[in-house]
Order: sequence, then structure tokens, then C-alpha cells
Amino acid sequence: MIFIILERILAHTSFFLLFLITLIFWGKTIYTRNEKLDHFGKKGMVIAYSCVTGFLLNRWIYSGHLPLSNLYESSMFLSWSFSLIHIILEVRSPNFWLGTITAPSAMLTHAFATLGIPKEMQQSAVLVPALQSNWLMMHVSMMMLSYATLLLGSLLAIAFLCISFERNTDFPVYYYDTKPSIFSFLRRDLHSSNREKKGSFLQKKFCLLSIDYRRWRLTQQLDHWSYRIIGLGFPLLTIGILSGAVWANEAWGSYWSWDPKETWALITWLIFAIYLHTRMNRGWQGRKSAIVASLGFLIIWICYLGVNSLGRGLHSYGWLI
Amino acid sequence: MATPLQFRPLLGHHFSSPSPLSRKNTHLFSSSRYATLTHKLVDMAFLCSSGQCCLVVKASAKSGSAGQSQSVKTVRHQPNHGAQTLNPVKKNSTLTTLPKAPPLVETTTTTALSPDLLETVKNVEVISRSEKNAVVPRVSVAGNYTVKGLFRQLVRQLASLPLAIAELFAIAGLSAIGTIIPQGESPEYYFQNYSDGKPVLGFLTWQWVLGLSFDHIYTAPYFLGLLLLLAFSLVACTSSRQLPMVKVARRWSFLKSEKAILQMDVTDTLPCARVEDIGTLLSAQGYEVFARGPSLYAFKGLAGRLAPIGVHAALLLIMAGGTLSAIGGYHGTVMVPQGLDFQLSDALRPMGILSMPADVLNNSVHVDKFYIDYRPTGEVGQFHSDLSIVNLDNQTVFSNSISVNSPLKYKGVTIYQSDWAISAVQVRVDGSEPYNLVMAPLQKGDNKLYGTFLPLGEDGVTKAKGISILARDLQSVVLYDQEGQFVGVRRPGSRKPIQVNNVSIVVDDIIGSTGLELKMDPGVAPVYAGFGGLMLTTVISYLSHSQVWALQEGTSLVVGGKSNRARFEFEKELNEILDCVPEIRTKKQRGDFSSTETATQKQ
Repeated sequence: MIFIILERILAHTSFFLLFLITLIFWGKTIYTRNEKLDHFGKKGMVIAYSCVTGFLLNRWIYSGHLPLSNLYESSMFLSWSFSLIHIILEVRSPNFWLGTITAPSAMLTHAFATLGIPKEMQQSAVLVPALQSNWLMMHVSMMMLSYATLLLGSLLAIAFLCISFERNTDFPVYYYDTKPSIFSFLRRDLHSSNREKKGSFLQKKFCLLSIDYRRWRLTQQLDHWSYRIIGLGFPLLTIGILSGAVWANEAWGSYWSWDPKETWALITWLIFAIYLHTRMNRGWQGRKSAIVASLGFLIIWICYLGVNSLGRGLHSYGWLI
Repeated sequence: MATPLQFRPLLGHHFSSPSPLSRKNTHLFSSSRYATLTHKLVDMAFLCSSGQCCLVVKASAKSGSAGQSQSVKTVRHQPNHGAQTLNPVKKNSTLTTLPKAPPLVETTTTTALSPDLLETVKNVEVISRSEKNAVVPRVSVAGNYTVKGLFRQLVRQLASLPLAIAELFAIAGLSAIGTIIPQGESPEYYFQNYSDGKPVLGFLTWQWVLGLSFDHIYTAPYFLGLLLLLAFSLVACTSSRQLPMVKVARRWSFLKSEKAILQMDVTDTLPCARVEDIGTLLSAQGYEVFARGPSLYAFKGLAGRLAPIGVHAALLLIMAGGTLSAIGGYHGTVMVPQGLDFQLSDALRPMGILSMPADVLNNSVHVDKFYIDYRPTGEVGQFHSDLSIVNLDNQTVFSNSISVNSPLKYKGVTIYQSDWAISAVQVRVDGSEPYNLVMAPLQKGDNKLYGTFLPLGEDGVTKAKGISILARDLQSVVLYDQEGQFVGVRRPGSRKPIQVNNVSIVVDDIIGSTGLELKMDPGVAPVYAGFGGLMLTTVISYLSHSQVWALQEGTSLVVGGKSNRARFEFEKELNEILDCVPEIRTKKQRGDFSSTETATQKQ
């Protein structure tokens, strides 16, 4: 009984916190700096992360298996992955726009899990014989983590497209050839010796207005980080698909049977492989590769949710809506 | 983890406290000490391929301050002779070889390492052999119409990136079609669902579906041809693009001019800094640092350039293994009641032309027992089959119990638990000997229903009325009387009789059948190897190849670098490193080296 009460408390607390944090991060883009709210946003994300972790651990202890066996648990795991990625990226390189994308993602998947799935399907059930395997942990957790990273990268690419949409001139967002010395913009006090020595940056070819420069800088950052995050999610997706194939071989004797879920996971993999290859060509970096990544966003949702509604195939028993 | 270096310091010279005496007469590179074997082989390769004399500094301490004492180890090589070209050498081309280079000559001492930066005298004269002197061989155009020329053209076309992207899109699109249109159904299914009167999406009738092989798209010739084309593209790309790029990436040269360094992505000039300070800091961050005189080169993450080759190789291995699985090996499915057996050679059918018969097929499998674990709620816990493999002499050579996620493996044959059925019910009617009533399937699939019929009376078969016994699982049976009315439920083995139409029935047992899937697959080994390789190489491909060049120009230090994947992160990292480079301020007038002050250039 204590488990059920705890589960409910943790679910409600984490949802409430994620909602507040979403509001704070979205509000950050509107109002100017408010240190206390900024601080609360950062800390709040950590607290929400620990609440969802507690929820998953609670469910694990209660049901005896890793909480990944039905749609409800996997959606909560997806929400947890989003907050985990947010924390990792905040630590590595903090920026102001990351929270505006990860916080609502975490909140919305959490909301889908708790509000969008009927109560009967939220119960933790015992595992059917086919799921009683150690491969369950590796395959499903890797797939959910990869979904979270790839969704985040695709969302950044969509944000890039939105922000760079109404641009008149075609800024070369991929190379820095006639650029100001990037260091002098990163460091707050400029090295006067640098400027005198090499000719001031104002003498370079394009002289940017400050607003446009910031937007250009933002689109560059979005482009770069969507590439890096998708580049991180792609190996995770590979590991997830391949561990699923090995599991299928151990359980059913065939490592690839063109099941709809398997096939759509392969299509997701192919789309992101295309994305990574378009980045190799300098002319396609920027808008064209962002379009591919946006397509990837759609395909991940088809792979995760759309296939279950077909009702056919090996993956349909536990996850059917 | 800071393991102390095992190298002996060179004449007591440490970077932290350079003394004037050792500085003036020290030929830092004239020592005849050679590298110890603790050097990694790949480092040796780098040094050898460049053919230059280099100073190698390696540190495992992760400290940012330049006050770290580092031991120094020198390597000197004789330059290798012969031309070094950027493009892969083609046999038909004419190749001019460079003249034999004279050996390296050190003319004067170098004082570039002096803390007193006003009197830097760069007197190092080393005959450098950079790639600028290399002659790139050109293939004559007239060679295009030979077989070799055409082959080379073909390879170049296959390795093109737009073609590869188009192939991937095509495979993705066709796979998606295969999930929308149900695969592998009988033609009547398509006649009904994709009929002429009501075409799907306005035009998709069964002629489209069956004519374009959409009912078995994953084995259709065009799909397999597309996969084959992808395989050829992978091979062409690896051989003609990736391998040469790796050779280029592994070669590097010091940049001699400030202008060349300032063309990098991330550049900066530090007014009072020393090149060896940045060398120490870079090596503390995990870079491999090479310094010679005023120049410095450092790199990190070269594996990120090599790993994509591994990705392609792993994909090819997986495809080869998949092909082997598809056309080699054996496969079969059986449903065997408990207590019976079957021959492996009956159950296993060859998959294709590469299927090799094996001795293990002579054996037969005996199903000792099939049972289901049920949970208290009535749901299925696990299916179990006890199997034993019997050879031609009727001896049991192997026996094991299998369940859904743990198959039986014996000499290349793998037996999986995949399905189950109810075979017969054992009853005793009015105190008779127990006998079996065979059960027939009424519903298959997830909700199984099996039934049997116990005729009563002597009216003959056509007018026989009797007792119906139905079962959904192995836990209980339901009995109905002659009129079809429900009578009762009994658990097998409970020995409780039930009266149906004045007949007393005791249900002794329900005998199940186990559904087994059998496989002999020679392709599993290469496929698993490819899987492991692919997992590893895609992870390593995430690394970014970062390179940093530095040049000491008088008192100032020019630094430039680039990174192929992690642009912003590299910028930030280089920023932080440059923040830590100590600024050297000296008292110029007296040339008093003992009173140097150092201050960090922290912002």
C-alpha cells in the first residue's frame, strides 16, 4: 500500500514541478534576467529528475521487474530521460535555450503517461513469458534513451528552421571564414592587443548588427547542438536496435523478422544516418540537414506510438492502446 | 590517475625551472636517446610517417598549471626517402619521386625555450619535408576508356554521397510501404481488401499490390537489389574516400607562418606566452603534443575519423551474415504432443542453396514433458518443455528443459519454445480404464479453445449425442451435457467425479502439445560479430578530431585550431586552456632571470 501512495505522491510532485519549470524556462525568453527564478529553474529540474527517478525505483521494487513493460512505464521513462539529458547538458555547456525545449518535452510525456493513458493500462502487471528476459532491460532502456536524445536533437533542428525561416540573406551558418575572432566575443573583456595586431574585426567583410548577430549565433548554436545530440543518440539507437535483434534471436530464433515496430525503428535509423551524412557536405549543413532531422521527429513518433495502434506484429501485446 | 612517467629527464632539464646554464649549451634534440617501448605503436607510426625529428611530451596528470614538472623524451629518426603523396597511388600514372633528402642537420642551439623572450634566436635549420613539396600524380584522361578506367569511374560514381542518401531514402520508403500493406497474406486477402471497386487511397487495387510484389516486399527482387547496391556503395565509399581521408588525417605538418594559423576556425594570439606551456596544458587535456622549436602541433580524437570505416565494415558483415542466413541453414516448426517424438531431418527444411546437411539431422527429439506454470491469478507464468535428443541407436545423447527465452542448443541446432496446443484429455468414464480423447482446436491464436466429444448411446455416429468437454488451458476443463447445458468445471488430477447425463466422469489429465521452432543458422556468427562491431564503432564515431597548432612569434604565441565535429565544445575547451597559459613578465633591463614573475592570464 505504501508503494501506491508513494507512487502517486511522486508522480504528482514531479508533474507539478515540471509544469512550473516549463513556465519558468519559457518565461526566460520573454523577461530579462531574474536570478532567483533562473536558480529555481535549474534546481527545480534536478528535483523533478529525482522525483521521477524515485517514481521509477518505486515501481521497480513494487513490480519486481524494470519499469519498462507497458506504454505507461515507458512514457515515464521517456520523461525521465529528457530530464536526465537536460541535467547532463547543463553541466557540460550551459546555455539559455536548452530548458525551453527539454522541460516541456519532459512535462508533456509525463502528462501523456499520467493523463492520457487509461487507468487500467497504468497498472503494473506481471511480465508475459516472452518478456521475462534480461535483454528487456538493455533493449528497451536503450531505445527509450535514444528516442529522448533524438527527439531533443530533432526539436532543436525544428527550432533552427523556425528561427532561420524568414531570413532574407543567406548567412553561411556553417563556416567562419571572414569572421570576427570568436574568442573576443566569448570572453567578456576583449584583448586589445589582438585587435590592434590583426586589424579590428570591424574591418572584416561583414559587419553585423548586434541583434542579427545574436540570432545568427543562436541558429549556429542550435545547428551545432542538434548535430551533436543526434550524433549521441544515433549510437544509442544502434545499440537498442541491435540488442533487440539479439534478443529476438534468443527468444524466437530470428533476429530480424520485418515486424512493423522493427521496420520503423530501422527507418528511424536510416533517416538519422541520412542526417549525419548530409552534415558531411558543407553545402547541406544548416537548412537542408535540419529538414531531414525534422522529418526524423515525425518518424520517431510513428515508431514509438503509431505502430502500436496497428495492432499487428510481435510488439503489440503489451503496448496496445 | 597520474602514473609517473618512466622516462629519464634530459640532462636534468625540466620545464618548470629552466636555468640559464643548461639552456645555452643544451642541444635539446641532439641527444641520442631513443624512444622507449612504452610509447604506443601508433605514436611511432605518426613520427615515422612524418619523417621528422620531434619532441614528444606526454603527461597523464590533469593539471592546468604550467608548474608541473614534466619529463622529456626525445626521438630522432632518419627521414624516410621516397615520395609521399596525398592521393592513393594509381598504377598507370607517372610518379615523380623526390630527390633523396639529406639527413637532418642541427646547426645551432635553439633558444626558443628561454624564459627571456626578448632574445629569442631561432637558429634551427632543419630540412623539412612537408607535403607542399609532394607531387600529386595526375591520371591521364585518355585512360578513361580502358576497362580499368571504366571501373574507376564506376567506383567513383558509386561512392557519391547523393547516391547513398537516395538509396537510404528508397530503402526507408519501401520498408514503410511494407508496414502499411500486410505482408505474406493469401491472394484472396488482397482481392478483398484492395478490390477494384474500392481501391485504397483511390488507386491502390490488388493488381498494384500483387504486381509490384507489395505483398512480399522485403524479399522482392528490387528491394534486394537495392540492398545490394547499398552494399556496393559502402565498399566503394570505404575504398575510394574513407581510406585516403584517413591517410590524410594521420599526416600532419607544423604550420610555419602566423597567417596559416590564423586561418583556422578558432584562433588567438597571446602576447607573452611560451609554446611549451601550451604544450603542457594540451597534453594534460588529453592531446598528443608534438613540438619542434617554435612550432607545436597537438591532436586528439583521431579514432573519430577511423571509426566510420569500421561502421561500414560492420554493416557489410551484417549484410553478408544476413544473406548467409537467408539462403543457408535449416528452419522448421513442429507441434508435438507430450510423449511423442520427431525426427530432426523431418522437421528441418533447407532455406536455400547454401544449406549444408549435417550429421546432427540424424537424431530425433523426444518430448518428455510439456507443462505450463500458472500464476495464482490464472495467467501464464512460463511455458516449459523437457526435451531429449536421441540418436539412431536409441540412446539419449542430450536432454534439457527449455522455456520461452531459453532455447536448447545442440551441435548447431537450436530449438525454441514458441507455441503450444492441447492434444488430448485423459478421462475415466464410469470407472473404466483411463483413455485419451483427442481434442480439436476450435479457436487458435491468443485465446485458444479446444474441445472434444464423448458420444453416449448407440444411435450411430450421425445421430450421436454426447458430452462436450472444452478447455482453454491446461488448468481446467468444462463439461456440457447432451443438450449443451453447462454442467461443471473440473481440474485434471483432482479425482473428483462429475455426473453428466447419468455418466460419471473423472478427468485425470490434460495432455498438451509443445510448439517448437527449430533452426540451424550459419549466419548467426558473422551477424553477431557485425552487431558488436557496429555498436562499438558508432559509439567511437561520436568523437571529434581536434587539432591545435601554435607558433612562437617573438614574445607572443599564435594559437589556432579546428575540430571536425565538436566545434563549439572545442572552442570552449581551447578557450579554457588559453585562459590557463601563464603570462611571462620579465625585468628586461637587467636580464635577471632569477627574478621572473609569472602570472596567469586569467580573465
